[in-house]
Amino acid sequence: MRSRYYFIVALFAVAGCQKLNQAPTDRYTDFNYWTTPANANALLNTAYSQMFRSDYFFYNEGLSDNAYVGRGDQNNTFTISSGSYNASLGRFDDEWTTHYQCIKSCNVLLDNVEKIPGYPADQKAQLIAQTRFIRAFVYWQLMTWFGDVPLFSHDISLAESQSIARTPRAQVLQFVLNELDTVEAVLPKSWDAADQGRITSGAAEALKARVELYEGNWQDVAKICDTLINTSTYGSWSLVPNYSQIFSPANEHNSEVILDQEYVPNIRTYAWTFDFIPISAGARDNALAPTQDLVNDYLMLNGDSINQAGSGYDITNPYANRDPRMTATLVYDQDVWANANGSTQTIYIKPGSDPNRSALNEYVSNGGFTSPTGYYWRKYFDSTAAPGEVSGLDLILIRYADVLLMYAEAMNELGQMNASVWGQTIGALRARAGFTDPNALSFNAAWSQGDLRTIIRRERRCELAFEGLRIFDIRRWKTASTLLNGWVHGAQYGDPSVDNGFVRVASRIFDPTRDYLWPIPTYELEQNSHLTQNPNY
Amino acid sequence: MTKLTAVLLVTACLQVSAKGYSQKVTLSESDVSLTKVFKEIRKQTGFLFFYSDELLQQARKVSIHVKAAPLQAVLDSCFRDQPLGFEIDGNSIIVDARAPAVVTRDLPPGEITVHGRVTDPHGVPLAGVSVTIAGTSRGVATDGRGEFTLVVDTGAVLHLSYTGYTAVDVQVRGRKTLVVALELSQAALNEIVVVGYGTQRKVNLTGAVDQITPQDLAGKPGVNTFQLLQGVSPNLIIQQPDPSPGASFNFNIRGVGTMNDNSPLVVIDGITSGNLQSLQLLNPADIESMSVLKDAGAAAIYGSRAANGVLLVTTKKGKKNQHPTVSYSGTYGTQDSKILISPLPAWENAIYKNESLTNVGLPPIYAPADIQALKTGGDHEWFLRQILHHAPQQSHNVSLTGGGQNSTFLLSLGNLTQASNFVGPNYGYTRYNVRAAATSDYGILKAGGTLAYTHDELKQNSFGNGFLMADAERTPTNYQMVDSLGRYLTNAVLTQFNPLGVLQRGGYNDITNDDFFGNVSAEIALPKGFSIKGVVGGDMVTNHNFLRVAQVGFYPQGVYGSDRSTGDTWTQTMYTNVQLMAQYNRSFGDHRVSGLIGASNESTSGHSSNIYYMYTDSILGTPTTGSIVSTNASTTAQNPYVSSLNSLYGRANYNYKDRYLVEFDARYDGSSKFRQGIRYGFFPSVSAGWRLTDESFMQGVRDKIGELKLRGSYGVLGNQSAGNYQYLTTYSSITNAYGFNNTPVAGEGFTFSNPDLTWERAATFNGGLDAYLLHRSLNVSLDYFNKLTSHILLVPAVPGTFGTNLPDYNAGKMRDEGWEVSVKYVLHGRQFTHSFAVNLADNHNEVVYFQGTQQLQGDAELETVTRAGVPFKSYVGYKRDGYYQTSSDVAKYPKLVGITPIPGDIKYKDKNGDGIIDNNDLYVLGNPFPRYTFGFTYNVTYHGFDLNVFIQGVGRRTMFVRGELVDPFQANYSYNIFKHQLNFWTPTNPNAAYPILSANGSPSQQNDYNVPSNLYLFNGAYARLKNVQLGYSLSPRVARSLHVQHVRVYFTGQNLLTLAKVKFLDPESTEFDSNVNNSYGNNQSGRVYPTPIFYGGGLDVTF
Repeated sequence: MRSRYYFIVALFAVAGCQKLNQAPTDRYTDFNYWTTPANANALLNTAYSQMFRSDYFFYNEGLSDNAYVGRGDQNNTFTISSGSYNASLGRFDDEWTTHYQCIKSCNVLLDNVEKIPGYPADQKAQLIAQTRFIRAFVYWQLMTWFGDVPLFSHDISLAESQSIARTPRAQVLQFVLNELDTVEAVLPKSWDAADQGRITSGAAEALKARVELYEGNWQDVAKICDTLINTSTYGSWSLVPNYSQIFSPANEHNSEVILDQEYVPNIRTYAWTFDFIPISAGARDNALAPTQDLVNDYLMLNGDSINQAGSGYDITNPYANRDPRMTATLVYDQDVWANANGSTQTIYIKPGSDPNRSALNEYVSNGGFTSPTGYYWRKYFDSTAAPGEVSGLDLILIRYADVLLMYAEAMNELGQMNASVWGQTIGALRARAGFTDPNALSFNAAWSQGDLRTIIRRERRCELAFEGLRIFDIRRWKTASTLLNGWVHGAQYGDPSVDNGFVRVASRIFDPTRDYLWPIPTYELEQNSHLTQNPNY
Repeated sequence: MTKLTAVLLVTACLQVSAKGYSQKVTLSESDVSLTKVFKEIRKQTGFLFFYSDELLQQARKVSIHVKAAPLQAVLDSCFRDQPLGFEIDGNSIIVDARAPAVVTRDLPPGEITVHGRVTDPHGVPLAGVSVTIAGTSRGVATDGRGEFTLVVDTGAVLHLSYTGYTAVDVQVRGRKTLVVALELSQAALNEIVVVGYGTQRKVNLTGAVDQITPQDLAGKPGVNTFQLLQGVSPNLIIQQPDPSPGASFNFNIRGVGTMNDNSPLVVIDGITSGNLQSLQLLNPADIESMSVLKDAGAAAIYGSRAANGVLLVTTKKGKKNQHPTVSYSGTYGTQDSKILISPLPAWENAIYKNESLTNVGLPPIYAPADIQALKTGGDHEWFLRQILHHAPQQSHNVSLTGGGQNSTFLLSLGNLTQASNFVGPNYGYTRYNVRAAATSDYGILKAGGTLAYTHDELKQNSFGNGFLMADAERTPTNYQMVDSLGRYLTNAVLTQFNPLGVLQRGGYNDITNDDFFGNVSAEIALPKGFSIKGVVGGDMVTNHNFLRVAQVGFYPQGVYGSDRSTGDTWTQTMYTNVQLMAQYNRSFGDHRVSGLIGASNESTSGHSSNIYYMYTDSILGTPTTGSIVSTNASTTAQNPYVSSLNSLYGRANYNYKDRYLVEFDARYDGSSKFRQGIRYGFFPSVSAGWRLTDESFMQGVRDKIGELKLRGSYGVLGNQSAGNYQYLTTYSSITNAYGFNNTPVAGEGFTFSNPDLTWERAATFNGGLDAYLLHRSLNVSLDYFNKLTSHILLVPAVPGTFGTNLPDYNAGKMRDEGWEVSVKYVLHGRQFTHSFAVNLADNHNEVVYFQGTQQLQGDAELETVTRAGVPFKSYVGYKRDGYYQTSSDVAKYPKLVGITPIPGDIKYKDKNGDGIIDNNDLYVLGNPFPRYTFGFTYNVTYHGFDLNVFIQGVGRRTMFVRGELVDPFQANYSYNIFKHQLNFWTPTNPNAAYPILSANGSPSQQNDYNVPSNLYLFNGAYARLKNVQLGYSLSPRVARSLHVQHVRVYFTGQNLLTLAKVKFLDPESTEFDSNVNNSYGNNQSGRVYPTPIFYGGGLDVTF
């Protein structure tokens, strides 16, 4: 028996038995990861990158009445906006999962950071505060789309995740607000140059304002915005003198930026504008096009809306004398485009108008790869982008103009809009945009609260178009049910007998009994029987 | 001379190839019969004795004691003072009554009539035995009583051959009556089959093993072993999802048994590299034999590696006592890409485009004048035709083999070139193989080794075949690809790139592999049937991928490759394998016992690096001022890993009279992929066989029908295909995860551990029957298997709230069941010899348990489900239920949420009857894995001519195709409707194949094309004339006059004809790989490189 045992041992020895305990050499394990502050910071960096997605930033606009997805179905934007979807649509689970991944990063970091020896207390506190901000921001995004969502503030086990129930929306909201209150006390007003882009106490306050705005808590919105605008408790911001400069690569981290998502040229990039800008400006096609509805909302330079009597609007020359932000945001027929090399070109969109026979940008009814609406985007065009429109331009998540607009909206809803608040908010924004006509700039005491509501909401749309906020505004205003039903229109290149010639691009359906909340994804319901579905899905 | 009966005893030496012959004889016999001496000499030398029993009755007993004495001398000594003489003729020793001086050549010339009778060893007459006069084409076949009559020269030699029996040459020597008993051929009786860690006689096999010989592969213009194996063996399932040069193959044995890795284990010359690429890199011309180990009985000795079956490959070696022989084999031919879709003339296409718009209330694009202009303007050549051309394919192999008394050698060289059907600079695949093998015996030591090197290179375009195909096929024919100035044109529909420009000027992607394979083995024979054997070997594969994107400008706009990037990736993988085993093999009377116990280690290690530059020099592609190193570059070793498997294994065989056979196999594996404590697994099997016709009471059956053997096995096999280090939580750096103030910073990602990770186990039952009927001219093999795999390693479905993916868990169970039939039949005629081989197999899997309710996976309109009770990754979707024919139909029938269809749109079945079509109405619609796979080979020879026909196919498969080949003017990406799409709904064509034409963005498009449904499912059954060969071999006489041994020239063709239900796409096209993962995204949109049809010729010469 014994000799047989030796024989086997000998066989193994001769057969070059290898060690079966192998550890990776290019990765940390639990045994050695939580040893340095640098490793904790690295995980925080991951959380920053998961805070918001550039594709959502742009394509969310296609969910709203600002834009239409005419090619492909990026992030299922087209499908959702058409109204024909169910809970198994990929975007819903994508949205859900993306946010919980970020929450995971935050929770793993928060649960383990105390293990790191010798971590200076103040640095650790700031790391924790940034992490908690990101987690709160993400929970807020989740509850905005889905309503009640599972809420937890530690890293949950698989078993917990399979049985956790949805927390009532109100509790999630309270959690978000409490967290923001906690972190704003720890976060600095500003960071050193090398850390530009990190979360500040001002960002926490501004996010709080937006959270309260979406809840319609006007008192709180007004109070927070008042502090941000009129004190330097959380920092100081000011409007960038030239509207289009807000989004220029030379002007990142400008005086208006409160919170952004950071990109680095050639290194951390996105290339979405490749499908938005005019074809002759370097796009490969058009996948997201501004709507006629958005174009119509831009004021005349005299401050009148286009359908106001005496506005001077000429339907045969529709783009003349309009809010300068229109041309800073989108591209219409015969608009002039500044090329990256400094030269300019005229963008011919009207069919048959291009003197150059290539007619690259011209509208083709439901056919070519040009814009299906007859408009292109300009905002966020990065003239320094690498080929293929690979851009490292930061995406601004909250800017000072938004604070002004929130303030104006809240004050109006509180019945406290006056010339002073107007001048500080809408007036200032219009002046910065390039309006000079007193009719556009000055407050009219005769306006009713309802008139002002229309004006402020329009102002908000035009100022913030193509910054991903419109869909949330029309959902909280509950106007989506009107705005997202029926035909999406493009420019007046169609059969004059149909909708006055404004081309019908596609029709949309929005069911107010269902669509104000997104469905809990089918996949999640299958994985966790304790989750419930939103109404009418 | 009265009636002379010659009984020819043709007995073969065991293991001819292994043992070889010797002309030296060692004998130590006292007072024994001459017969016994003959037997001993035959055993030692392989020489055959021809004598009649009458003659030997007159012989005296002999005593002889010689050591390594020459045969002639030994015979002289035996025949001294005997009333007999002998004559050595080739390999035969003929014993007769005459003096040794008398030789046949002295017989008086003249013709005589010979009557003969041919029987099997039991005296049963054999009908249809071919009897030919050597050196002529004259001959006859025996009749029903096994008799023949021939007029021959007195000195003629008759050649008798019959399938399953050893062919013999009989000297007539003036005899008028011959009775010849043919011996069962060694091939049939003693056919040696390579099994795990050794060989076995085929008759003694108890497991399910299928043998593949070089004849199964010969002359076929396949580019690699995978392609050649397709259809050759039942349930050896090979699919070629991408027919482009150098693409990889799907490879499964007995279907899908796990939700994890289904790759069979490939063992080349005893080295378990676990690397399928090695098989793709192997030169098929170097293969001596292949064994497919299918059941637990055959495969359990590979334990944890064997759950998906094992393919053992043995490469060619030299033969002992063989003069150096040079062989050449080569093929040359052309590949023609057959395009199965065709566009319409541009003006007709425009009319349909208009219809698609007006149907959904949108204005038409083309005015009547535009259409007229398209009509008068005519059409240009379709882009898809412009980017494809004929391409040559050739292969050349030269080998030199030989051997002396104690050693053998082989040197071989091979080259294969398969040019791409895409136009452009030298796209295609090239492979070079070099191989050297030697064996040597030294006393009790036998040693051998092989060294092989392969270099291959695949040059592709820099963009990717799928999108090039798509861009080319979906452009209407009114557009021009190149203008008169030679400029590559873009147009209103080619969004970005001109495919011809990309192919001709856009750079390339160069993928090279270098594979060094080597092994050395040594075996020491010990007394009493023991031996010890050691094997050391390894395989080192280096992959290099160099991507060069060159900038191409288009007119009037558009640029390809403006970032002028180059990417350079190296990966090196090293497999090592060390084995040591002790073997025992001995007979005790009718009992034969053999056994083996061994230990081995298999280790795999690897690492990679890559570098990626942008804005390189526009001509050279080299880094220059302004070049940027991309962020995902990694110049240091990337993903280094080591994994190791330590194993003990053993086998015990026992058989009684070769009639009752039992075998036990087991393996005990320890894997570095699992944590200490649970890393060892034990995988045993037992198998048994009964050759029932060897029983005396079955004698009648054997004589009348043939031989039968029953086999059965049961065992547990394992699978450890999990990633490395998964029992540890790891944190890995994410380069440039984020940035602050335009300075990048690294992030960190984590991979959660599963410390409980352990072996996947497949309990496998196999039952089989082997039958040799009609005097062994008909062989039938049947097998049934049933495999239940549990603890399946899979990435579990986890809730999104968990926030990350998990590593593999042992969380699934599935059953795989099926059968195999293999039939071989040989029919000898007077002029023609026909042989038929058919194999047919089925496999069917079903998920038994899947953690969580189910897993739906989707990609565009393709949706699959994994859940208990249905096959793994079954297609799910809505079922079509005709069309809404009228607006009242639209009002009346259930609809998809949020969609208002129009007449002509697809109506779906409301499965649950709730009046609305939603996820609850999804059906399981089919399964992408092929069933009823078959292969059929017919071979006929007539004198020097041979014809070989090989058909391969699939009896049942559901294939999924979406995108532009199904959806006309698809999603504003395609601008074409193809001819096969014209059967669409109109009020006058209410039962059309396709719904009403509609435009992107319309509810109709949403309804008809944007949801998963059986609109996209097609019948993937097919039968394909895979290979036809028509050859002519020079007669040996003519060949000899040209100083060569053998010459064959032949025509060979591949993929000549395909019968299929789906007409617009190759039915072999699949989006799924061997593990039923959706890895060929372009295939599901039908953007597949057209399957080439090959026509060519071949030449085989042996000098």
